[in-house]
Amino acid sequence: MKCRILDGVRHFLIYGKRGVLLNVSLFSSKYINIWSILTVGIVLTVIAPNFVILLQFFTEPADQWDHVRQYLLPDLLKNTGLLLFFTGLTTIFIGTSLAWLVTAYDFPGTRFFKWGLILPLAIPPYIGGYTYHGMLNYTGVIQTTLRDTFELDLDQKYFDILNLPGAVFIFTLFLYPYIYTMTQTYLETQSASLIENARLLGKNGTKIYFSVVLPISRAVIIGGTSLVLLEVLNDYGVVQYFGVPTFTTAIFQTWFGMNDLASAIKLSATVMFIIAVLLIGERILRGRKQYSYTTSRVHPLQKKKLTGRKKWSAFFYCLAIFSIGFVIPGLQLVSWMMLTYEKVVTAEFWTLLTNSLIAAISGAAMIMIGALVIANFTRLNKSLPAKALSKMTILGYSIPGAVIAVGISTVFIYIDNVLAALYEQFDMDGTLFLSTSLLILIIAYAIRFLAIGFNAIDAEFDKAGTSFHEASRLLGKGSISTFFKVDLPMVKGAVISGFILSFIEILKELPLTLILRPFNFDTLSTKAYQYASDEQIQEAALPSLLIITLSALAIYFFYYVLKKERS
Amino acid sequence: MFVSVENLCFRYRSQEVIHQLCLEIQKGEILSILGSSGSGKSTVLRLLSGLETPNEGSITVAGQTVADDRHFLPPEKRSIGMVFQDYALFPHMTIRKNIEFGLGTWPKKERKPRAEEMLRLVRMEAYKNRYPHELSGGQQQRIALARALAPKPALLLLDEPFSSLDADLQINIRNELHDIIKQTETTTVFVTHDREDAKAIADRIVTMRDGAAHDWDSICMTTERPVEQKEKALQSL
Repeated sequence: MKCRILDGVRHFLIYGKRGVLLNVSLFSSKYINIWSILTVGIVLTVIAPNFVILLQFFTEPADQWDHVRQYLLPDLLKNTGLLLFFTGLTTIFIGTSLAWLVTAYDFPGTRFFKWGLILPLAIPPYIGGYTYHGMLNYTGVIQTTLRDTFELDLDQKYFDILNLPGAVFIFTLFLYPYIYTMTQTYLETQSASLIENARLLGKNGTKIYFSVVLPISRAVIIGGTSLVLLEVLNDYGVVQYFGVPTFTTAIFQTWFGMNDLASAIKLSATVMFIIAVLLIGERILRGRKQYSYTTSRVHPLQKKKLTGRKKWSAFFYCLAIFSIGFVIPGLQLVSWMMLTYEKVVTAEFWTLLTNSLIAAISGAAMIMIGALVIANFTRLNKSLPAKALSKMTILGYSIPGAVIAVGISTVFIYIDNVLAALYEQFDMDGTLFLSTSLLILIIAYAIRFLAIGFNAIDAEFDKAGTSFHEASRLLGKGSISTFFKVDLPMVKGAVISGFILSFIEILKELPLTLILRPFNFDTLSTKAYQYASDEQIQEAALPSLLIITLSALAIYFFYYVLKKERS
Repeated sequence: MFVSVENLCFRYRSQEVIHQLCLEIQKGEILSILGSSGSGKSTVLRLLSGLETPNEGSITVAGQTVADDRHFLPPEKRSIGMVFQDYALFPHMTIRKNIEFGLGTWPKKERKPRAEEMLRLVRMEAYKNRYPHELSGGQQQRIALARALAPKPALLLLDEPFSSLDADLQINIRNELHDIIKQTETTTVFVTHDREDAKAIADRIVTMRDGAAHDWDSICMTTERPVEQKEKALQSL
């Protein structure tokens, strides 16, 4: 084997016996350009914090780790396991059954429920959690009504949801839409011929659901479930409030309670390990099954009209889920807000709002810029390394916020130490300048939600193809000029929708924000959470409602307006 | 020779697509590359234009080496015009903007007259303020041709120019295409799978054979070329 190097170090040819074996043009001038450099830079930023943590999985444990492992870890594993298992089970049941009902049948309100049933997603589980607790506790609306109207004074244990089953209930209620939307879209667009065949072969509704619908939509159900489970792992607000210790709460506890960053890192590494198992499990379960057929010749499923009792049970089932998942907590929050808004809307509240907007807008902007660069690079380079890079950008989305926070803090503290001398030169106070700045929070948002922006743009680039780009290059425009004149206008819609989606996600985000926000920097979500933890549930209503309204508007826009436009 | 391609090799995912291709084209000549699908004929255009990097061999256009072991001139610097199979007219620009797109390096004052001139050439003056989706397939093709010719490229490439047109349109349009290209005296390479198209437009036809892709090594040793130049192909066909 021989190796010939062309053009400095940029271009290798490796010879075998029978001529050139490998032409490594990765480093040729075609590939070393502003796009590849930026892409590698962004991807490294995404990977670095996670990598730092993974490394810790193998290092010598710190002193307190033994204590944590002995007294905390068994409980953490048990709670996390139970939460994941039961939430997975119930969300699959509710998500798929609703999807099947609104897709295959025609009953009162089907058209509304089709997108309305996504709305519970607008309520972040931690807000839903304290709302339900507030409604169910001794002074809450339910018990007060029972006492005052029906003179019923029931045992408190019937109303206590601050426990593990309660947390499962909350997660199920506000996370099932992940499975619902994915399954519903799949069934509506892809399953018609299979289900119609099953009908022709004489199977009835429930039979079809179990023997056809569930098996054929296995891949999407697993995809949706893994999103749900990742959200459960990411959650801090619900489990903290409900007193169910999991890895996220333990990371907070060891880091801030025990001031033991080393153990927090170890715990994070353990979470990453669980996530790796989860994602590999998803791969294996999904097998080679794809989400969709490759043919475009698919026709929508013909809805079957329901009558009589069936009609009304379908209707009430959907209505019940929609009510307890959206309407009831929503109304409760509105009534609390009416009671407290005068007290809550102060000068401080406007700071809160501006803080949230600043964080969400700059975070979303950073995400979209990063996503555009990477998506543009990977689509124009179909090489293996480029593909691997795009896979890595999606990584951040599977990692819980608390874990990302641990990782990025470690990296930033290191950078601060390196720059300490420089800070002194400029007479800046404090040695942890970057680690306590807003920048670290915004970068952390970008790492966590880059996948949202990337997927939006990648899909749009995929539709546009590369010939417009190539035509522009042949007409004498360089890659940068082509990007601004041709590529960017082509994916304008995706940039806007990606921006809105990541904006909403950042607005709702809790664990990352709690850990990484600069001193005295509160956002809508941290304030809502803080009010709730301080037993000022009613005061939490206004910031919560703002978050929910914006999220609900986004859902309305994406699942109703856009889908309608397309069809 | 105005365009000369020597021993060009290209692999895609370790599969030999182009093997030791040689081609020579004279100035002003219209050359047609005839081949079935999968024969690698479109790849030849992509290599000529710089959209792909050859693994071996060299390409020279108008005395300038655009690709060999040491050089690789990016597509935007090659002065090569191309009409894409799907035309790739920018959907967010009007017809006139599309044609002016390639005139970025021209003095501002000359851009508009040049665009008008091209519109006259393809007889589409009336449509200059329309958007691409408002035109028929044949009209889009003429605009794509006008856009490619506007910057006065040294070499014009046409990738299956008739594949998206109705059969009855095809005959009219290919004569028209021939006349327009001859009028501008642009050296042209066009690839097609249709023998009739090739005969109608080309001064010279080169046939490209596929097959043997899985056994390229032996072909390499026996020096047989998958592309055989057939001089005076018109008579022999």
